Amino acid sequence: MPLYEHVYLARQDITNQQVESITKSIEDVVKNEGGSIDRIEYWGLRQLAYKIKKNRKAHYTMMNINASSETLKKVERQISLNENILRHISIKVDKFEDGPSLMMNPRSTESSE
Amino acid sequence: MIQAQTKKPYFRNSRNCPLSEPDSPPVDYKNVKLLQKYISERGKMLPSRITSVSAKKQRELAIAVKRARFLGLLPYLQK
Repeated sequence: MPLYEHVYLARQDITNQQVESITKSIEDVVKNEGGSIDRIEYWGLRQLAYKIKKNRKAHYTMMNINASSETLKKVERQISLNENILRHISIKVDKFEDGPSLMMNPRSTESSE
Repeated sequence: MIQAQTKKPYFRNSRNCPLSEPDSPPVDYKNVKLLQKYISERGKMLPSRITSVSAKKQRELAIAVKRARFLGLLPYLQK
């Protein structure tokens, strides 16, 4: 099955529990369809480089999803219906990175002013 | 420049692409620090003739910068 890197941005006002529940709901969809999630990374509440829907910050979450394209379509549909999510992107990759991504390294997370 | 090239036909440009080395970091939208080196103060991408990035890597950079901008990791414009 193809591998996808999925990142979504949630509104700054929601709590960490709400972010977790969104991630959980996505995980459930993927698992029900027979796919798997290899890694979940919560990058935290980050400053945005520009305002998105009047938000200056957003909760970033990245997931490494191993699932069919139909499954991903269902995930994207669910995400687009959720009003707490500002943006999302799915990128097809040949292979996942080993170990945590650079965003999890506190030194490299200093975002742009 | 043209004269120097005609004088030394086998002279190779010493300025190599900084991203084509075997140990250079992969170009990725998550590596914001790396991408910031290749955008101007205004937020625009720098031309490869200034950064001496190879054409292949410049194309990868362009994709990575656009992804990072969409996700709010890099600005579309800075003032």
